[in-house]
Amino acid sequence: MFNKRFTAKAVPLTVVLSTAIMVSSSSFARSNVYADFPITLKDYSGSATTSTSYKGQMARHALESSLKKLISKGDMSAMQSYYSGDDANRAIIAPATKGDFVIMQSTIGELSNKNLSGKTYKGLIPGWPGNMTGPEVAQFMFEKAADSEGGYDAAHAYDYTQLVSKFLMGAVTYNQAVDNYLDEKLEADTKPNNKPYKDGAAYTGKEHVWDEAFGYFGAPSHTLTLSAQNVYDIAKQKDVTVADYNYDGKVDLYKEMAFGHAYYASSFDKGGKTTYLHDIVGAYMDGRDMLVAADGKALTDSQRDQLKDYAQVIKTNWEKVIAEAVFKYAGSTYKDMMKIEAILESGGDVAKEWRNYSKHWGELKGFALALQVAGKDMGATSVKLNRLIGYSPLLLGNTQVTGVDSNGEYVQSDSETWGGYMVHMLKVQNLMVDEFGVVARSNDQTAGLSELVKSLGAKSSAEND
Amino acid sequence: MTDFFANFLNPEKRLFIGYLISAAFIAIIWLRMVQKKPLINIVSGFFDSKIWFSRSAIADYKLMLINQFFVKLLAPILIGQLALTIFIFENMHLFFSRPSESFPVWMVMLIFTTVLLIVDDFSRYLLHRLMHRVPLLWRFHKAHHSATNLTPLTVLRTHPIEAILFSLRAVLVHSLCLGVCFFFFSNNVSLIEIFGSSVFVVLFHAFGSNLRHSHINLGYWNWLEKVFISPAQHQLHHSTNPKHYDCNFGAIFSIWDNIGKSCIVSEKNQQIEFGLKEQSDKSHTLKNLIFGS
Repeated sequence: MFNKRFTAKAVPLTVVLSTAIMVSSSSFARSNVYADFPITLKDYSGSATTSTSYKGQMARHALESSLKKLISKGDMSAMQSYYSGDDANRAIIAPATKGDFVIMQSTIGELSNKNLSGKTYKGLIPGWPGNMTGPEVAQFMFEKAADSEGGYDAAHAYDYTQLVSKFLMGAVTYNQAVDNYLDEKLEADTKPNNKPYKDGAAYTGKEHVWDEAFGYFGAPSHTLTLSAQNVYDIAKQKDVTVADYNYDGKVDLYKEMAFGHAYYASSFDKGGKTTYLHDIVGAYMDGRDMLVAADGKALTDSQRDQLKDYAQVIKTNWEKVIAEAVFKYAGSTYKDMMKIEAILESGGDVAKEWRNYSKHWGELKGFALALQVAGKDMGATSVKLNRLIGYSPLLLGNTQVTGVDSNGEYVQSDSETWGGYMVHMLKVQNLMVDEFGVVARSNDQTAGLSELVKSLGAKSSAEND
Repeated sequence: MTDFFANFLNPEKRLFIGYLISAAFIAIIWLRMVQKKPLINIVSGFFDSKIWFSRSAIADYKLMLINQFFVKLLAPILIGQLALTIFIFENMHLFFSRPSESFPVWMVMLIFTTVLLIVDDFSRYLLHRLMHRVPLLWRFHKAHHSATNLTPLTVLRTHPIEAILFSLRAVLVHSLCLGVCFFFFSNNVSLIEIFGSSVFVVLFHAFGSNLRHSHINLGYWNWLEKVFISPAQHQLHHSTNPKHYDCNFGAIFSIWDNIGKSCIVSEKNQQIEFGLKEQSDKSHTLKNLIFGS
């Protein structure tokens, strides 16, 4: 059982007692941990003690982070195994034990024996050449990664490690959560709350729908007891004391680890300008508390509306997290281009900067693709984003990948000038501000310009000579 | 009315009380030491009701008040400044490489402050010249030149259309300087300031810019007047004498007039009549100032 120590740990007994007196005897202080929700199903007769279950989602996070490591090794069969295989003994390559940051599980099967292929967005991926579906893009990238050196294709400036990991983070976890569990599965006739999710389950339809959506976000279950910096440190495996919530000396990948977009939310929030992580997890908690209160009965329309409102908070903030990442890496790409240009002008070797440029562009592209797999029509925003970024980074000689031929080889054509493509990166940042209202704005390349215009710009005046 | 008083309390404005006081001191020293006038005459001249309550000066005040409202209409233009600055910054990428190394802050401040001074002053000269040379623009600008008495407040005797044109000019110049300098120097761009205003602008005002619109004939050495416009030179610009027409368009520097062959240096004890040739008293009515005769 999870130890709900949060409220009692830091608060003196007198305060706890007085608080207890203040609240009625029939209500409880709200738990801040997304765990151990009670079983509300009326006719459940199994041995489970909680209705909370989302191990499959955490297994997919472990598959994604392990796959990221495998891409740089270029082993096609290993990549296939983690993407679409069914071996329960697949080792969890990442996150692995690091010093005192001991990981509890060592195989995927210890979490739940899943794969990623079945849950990859099946729609068209318009930002990638070749008119492919999500699984086809993943497969295509695996093949290209296997043909390249360590997942890096310098000629086309493709970093498949970044491309695949950021793309799948969107096409699997983000898509499953916002386009499936927090979407059609919140309807009345889908997975109702007065029936088990499946025969013999300890959870209702809606409880499990909600739990699975929570799992896909990748946040530790005790996120609300932590700061954004804490969660960031967990993802980076820097601080076992904040990860190990139940003091068993190990970090449970199911409940105590930070993965995927939850990690990115924490990375932006720790700057202090945003609260994506806590807003999202708070909405998950509110929704789950509401389901507990529904007590295994079918949800009324107003309850479902309430649940949809929580879902909307999650979707909006989650989308912003991805948009913040697009913003950040457009800025990194811009800075890399500045460095490359300076080195080229002085006749130096750009190999190191080219590698960084490829990496950052891969992250930019991966997140940009992820942003477009929420199952909603982004209209002109999507077109603008894909045109600005293109199918590849701008290559020396001012060409870009513009398609894939019938043999699966990249086709290059003349494109923008170097400076012109730098402007594209600025426009990507503007687009994220205008369309998604990003606030954290890491690597903002026009930061300070609006303040400069405010302080040094022209003032209205009728003075005249 | 707050805006009205801001003209006298804001060091960014030419009519800031501090600049008026400094101009008065300079005038006293000039009139006493150079022109050897008795102090009592100098001081009484400052408060000459024939000037301050002349039809011309009263027209200045009316137009000044009306312009307070027109200036409010310029807010959208100022908001567009950021978009224009970003547009210029972005387009710089198409023509230049953006330097990745950073320059010392003091150097960037000096460059930006100087560039802004030069570009701003040149643009003032250019637009002012156009206001005289283009017949349509002259119809607006002659409201300013119909002043038959010059006081520091004449600086605000401006047709509202001209106020808009000069504000557009300011937006364009600031956006251009900020966009270009931000491209080369990133966040280090800033102004060498005194009292929240460019040091050069403060110096220009502190050294008697308000005497340009006055009857105090303060001239520099001729060689200096070929670099900086003196108050006496600007008074020539307001002269009714045809030989002075279309001269001395500059604000701070006379270099532009030199290049454009419109620079006329001042003369000692020059006798000038201000205004437009053959103008009647009607030219000081608001109707006439705004809609023309």
